Amino acid sequence: MLSAPIPELVTDVLRGDRTRRPRRDDTAAAGLRALLEDHVFSVFGARRTESTVMITSATINAAGRVLELADSPLSRARGILVSIAFRLLVAQVHVADPFMDALNAWRAERPRDELLDALVHLDDDQRARLSADVTSHFATLSRSMGTIPSGWRPRTSQRARQLLGGTAVCLRDVVDLVVGSPHLAVTNVALVDITTSPLGPGAERTMRYHALMQTMRTSVVPLRTSIFSSATGDLWTVDVDQEVLMRAVEDVARVLDRWKSP
Amino acid sequence: MEVTVSPLLQRRLTARALNELIEDAPSSVAEMSEEHRVSLTSRFRAVPSSEHRRLDAWMIEQAGRPPGPFAWSPTTARRILGNNALRRMSQPSDNLANAVRDEVADQLLRAVRGYARAGSLGHWLAGVTHPVLGLITAEAVNWATQSLECVEAVVTPWRIASSDAYYDVAGARTTLRGRRDVIVETPRGRVIVRIRAGQPGKCAGPGLRSDLVVETLAHPHGVAPQRYLGLWPDAGLILGVDGTMENVRAGARDFVRAAVAQRRLNLTRAA
Repeated sequence: MLSAPIPELVTDVLRGDRTRRPRRDDTAAAGLRALLEDHVFSVFGARRTESTVMITSATINAAGRVLELADSPLSRARGILVSIAFRLLVAQVHVADPFMDALNAWRAERPRDELLDALVHLDDDQRARLSADVTSHFATLSRSMGTIPSGWRPRTSQRARQLLGGTAVCLRDVVDLVVGSPHLAVTNVALVDITTSPLGPGAERTMRYHALMQTMRTSVVPLRTSIFSSATGDLWTVDVDQEVLMRAVEDVARVLDRWKSP
Repeated sequence: MEVTVSPLLQRRLTARALNELIEDAPSSVAEMSEEHRVSLTSRFRAVPSSEHRRLDAWMIEQAGRPPGPFAWSPTTARRILGNNALRRMSQPSDNLANAVRDEVADQLLRAVRGYARAGSLGHWLAGVTHPVLGLITAEAVNWATQSLECVEAVVTPWRIASSDAYYDVAGARTTLRGRRDVIVETPRGRVIVRIRAGQPGKCAGPGLRSDLVVETLAHPHGVAPQRYLGLWPDAGLILGVDGTMENVRAGARDFVRAAVAQRRLNLTRAA
């Protein structure tokens, strides 16, 4: 069930009602994988593709839409800077200047990133605007997230990769925040995506895709998947069940259909 | 003559599969005698090198191509810090983030006291800015949490390895490195677990076999582990090789091939 804009802390929403958590489901992953493998076979057959088809949450959302402003290098740079600042926030590091701190950390992580070059060539006005933008997104994040307890084992920018049809298709994903352990008797893993755009129809697909990838990564269905907009402060969250996962499989299948022979 | 190697084991990365792979590990394993070591040494000596060679699984996977110049980054520092932090924790319920911070603080202290040599992790950490240190901490916490997630459900007693396995091939100017993260002590021997990011490539099997041979050579009595397991949490996969003589031999052969390939590359560059 999706929620309306929530005034409370994201951590409270992630915690939810502890007494209503379902038992851990470690059987669904194999079925989902089989469905995806079948679909990949129906699209590609036994033929070997020249290159691997890469699918990410961005690919899922881009299906059938034209290029948007959010795809510009500056928007992508803003997204990366906010994501890094969020990582510092979760690590409970004091962030004095979100823009500069995130930029410094980015340089240390990937010094040869082409987007960093684009930032170097910004004029003073553009740079000041970007800095103000990142600071504003960070302020929304730090106000809304709350302190994530270390006992939740928070990990940021968690990556997942799944190959299908041999090496025909590669599903890739990065979740901004994952909390909880997949080894408990009840399910308690929650996923959070941070977006700098306002939430729209694509946000639901992103949430579902994260849930599907986490299920295939750990073979355990997560408890809930959420998306938080640092632009508006909105949080959408949904408890993961079979229907959510099946819809995620359909989303992936829809993207793969583009490679179907006429 | 065609050389046969034991098949590569492949499972989904689940607690049950990992426990099964550890429990079902074969009890009879290869032992490398002094004769084997002498033979390996002579093969490496036959491939002369003007400088000291350092070979590991990564180079086997890259067909002997030497890696680019090493530079510290949050990604390259996370494994050392994360594993050291895990070793600090007396029980899994301890606070991982604090353990990582303590480890970073220790490294910084070493640098301040002048014990960190140039180019070491401590030396690099002492020179980075506060936000970079934060990102390093985040990466190390990620690594430690992921590693703990992988092995905390293992029933057999395990410990985090204090270092990778190294073997210096006497008189051949060659050091072999075997990557290892977790050592599982079974009643019949040991199973070694190696954790890697990303997804396994086509040469993941030879990479595991090369780690297996270094682990065997580094053992004081040359006893191979029962199994060498590679965990790829991002892909949710486990690959493994048994500690058989075929696998150990295959791993050793790949190292010699990598040394030959490296020499050819060096000669081409020099020409």
